[in-house]
Amino acid sequence: MIFDSHEAYKQAGFKPKVCILGSGPAGTTIARKLGAAGIPVVVLEAGSREFSDQSQDFYRGTTVGDFYFDLDVTRLRFMGGSSNHWAGWCRVLDKQDFEPKAWAPDTGWPISRADIEPYLGEVHDILELPAFRPDVPISDDIRWVQLIKSPAVRFAEKFADELDRSRTIAVVLNTYATELAGDGKRVTGARLWSSGQDAGTFTADYFVTCTGGLENSRLLLWSNRRSNGGVVPNAAALGRYWMEHPTFEGGNAILANYGEFEVDASNEAFFSPTPAAMERLQIMNFGIRLIETPYPNVKRLIADLACTAPSMAEWMSDQLEQRLRCAAQLYVAWEQAPLASNHIELSKTDVDHAGVPRIELHWKKSPLERRTLLEGLRLFGTTLAQTNLGRVRIADWIGNGGDYPTNEETAGHHHMGGTRMGTDVSKSVVDANCKVHGMDNLYIGGSSVFCTSGQCNPTTTITALACRLGDHLSKVIAV
Amino acid sequence: MKKMSRRAIVQALLALPAMSLLRSRPAVANSDEIAPDEIAPGAIARDEIIEVNGWILRRSDLA
Ligand SMILES: Cc1cc2nc3c(=O)[nH]c(=O)nc-3n(C[C@H](O)[C@H](O)[C@H](O)COP(=O)(O)OP(=O)(O)OC[C@H]3O[C@@H](n4cnc5c(N)ncnc54)[C@H](O)[C@@H]3O)c2cc1C
Repeated sequence: MIFDSHEAYKQAGFKPKVCILGSGPAGTTIARKLGAAGIPVVVLEAGSREFSDQSQDFYRGTTVGDFYFDLDVTRLRFMGGSSNHWAGWCRVLDKQDFEPKAWAPDTGWPISRADIEPYLGEVHDILELPAFRPDVPISDDIRWVQLIKSPAVRFAEKFADELDRSRTIAVVLNTYATELAGDGKRVTGARLWSSGQDAGTFTADYFVTCTGGLENSRLLLWSNRRSNGGVVPNAAALGRYWMEHPTFEGGNAILANYGEFEVDASNEAFFSPTPAAMERLQIMNFGIRLIETPYPNVKRLIADLACTAPSMAEWMSDQLEQRLRCAAQLYVAWEQAPLASNHIELSKTDVDHAGVPRIELHWKKSPLERRTLLEGLRLFGTTLAQTNLGRVRIADWIGNGGDYPTNEETAGHHHMGGTRMGTDVSKSVVDANCKVHGMDNLYIGGSSVFCTSGQCNPTTTITALACRLGDHLSKVIAV
Repeated sequence: MKKMSRRAIVQALLALPAMSLLRSRPAVANSDEIAPDEIAPGAIARDEIIEVNGWILRRSDLA
């Protein structure tokens, strides 16, 4: 069932066991799992069926530190969430992403990749993915990795009919949960805002917040303040360890044979370091994306090479004559070191229309990441030169220690951390089952529970974790 | 052959769709080392890897 307002929902007399906040990939997936298990579940969605400026305005906020996207541009606030404009790149976090890195504090998850693997079959159906191919090492240091370009499933579009027909799932649109109330053991209710006014308190046995990788922290920080710590009793890490995938053009490569690498439908190929290389160089994970260089830029690149290595440039010219596809731009996206100082806090001065303080995001890239960018490109360049697959030129600003450009990709719109998973309550918010430490009936879905970000886009892992949480909750409720 | 300036090379490259300019250079002494297509891709070089002007090269590339 889908209701366009909280008023309409109330008439239906539906009695949910579980209340999910947010209808993005995480919320929709958990709801479908619970619904399939016969558990009555309500999904409260702040936005409506379509984009609107009024709804989007609730997402405004500010950023302190490094340049970042406007917070009302980097996500979408309506049914289906940011899946309404995600690009569809899919890959699950690597096995080693779940393991601690001795050289980077606060890395490592309380679960392993094996814990989410049983759900990958379901994830492939949901995201309409072919089977993943194993990585292919091209040297001891670098592996070709697959990033599948999915059809970018729009969750609302794909599942609207199924949700509407469901007798166990009720989606309630235009219903903003402004805060949760709690007594330090249980959430006792959610305060609602609908049709421009307070709409009372909503109760259910269990609550799952799936409001996105920025908003989960905001909602819980505000709820905790209003409930004197009764919603997240161990709040030292709440809002902290926030992460993105910084993304910049790192240079260019001339390739002996572009066809040597498996490329996807957009002619792009991806490479990552081996775990041994990360450990040896003490760097984070990264992904180098090869995008074919336009012809005029290839010529400029060869001219540049001619100044340093004329013979090499000569060979390159021949290559260019034989086939046009012989050079690539290198885009690097990397894993951020999880730092408590990268955090979300509530604005002291600015509130939304419902009176909830807006987000102030504190975000800075660290020296370890800068080293990851440079050493990563060196590693890739060395591999290409050693194997004679090509030659790499690192962008000047990276080699010279210049500032990050502000006119480039910047990051992936991947909002991770803030309510991370862990066993140490001073450094995490949820346990291995995504349950908030110390609370009996509060769970969190989405990438805010990520402990580390790995190098790949998050939604495949978000969906796998959501399937796992849906299964877990079904079992808890069935007892 | 007279060494060309960087500017001249750039202009020539931008002007010519085909690279006849560079092809007309005399053959280099040890062309095996600089012709990747003659070496099986994937073969590991024993050559030293160096970084010059942002390029990551084999030392023999500078020949
Ligand atoms: C431009 C862009 C491109 C992207 N490309 C990729 C990609 O290629 N691959 C990839 O893996 N990821 C990509 N992403 C990220 C991807 O969109 C997110 O990871 C994913 O949507 C997160 O799902 P979610 O359900 O956790 O949160 P969201 O999608 O953010 O959904 C949260 C939902 O909660 C609702 N909501 C918020 N607050 C409340 C509240 N208080 N009460 C009730 N409802 C609320 C919102 O309206 C929204 O519907 C991209 C994102 C953007 C912006």
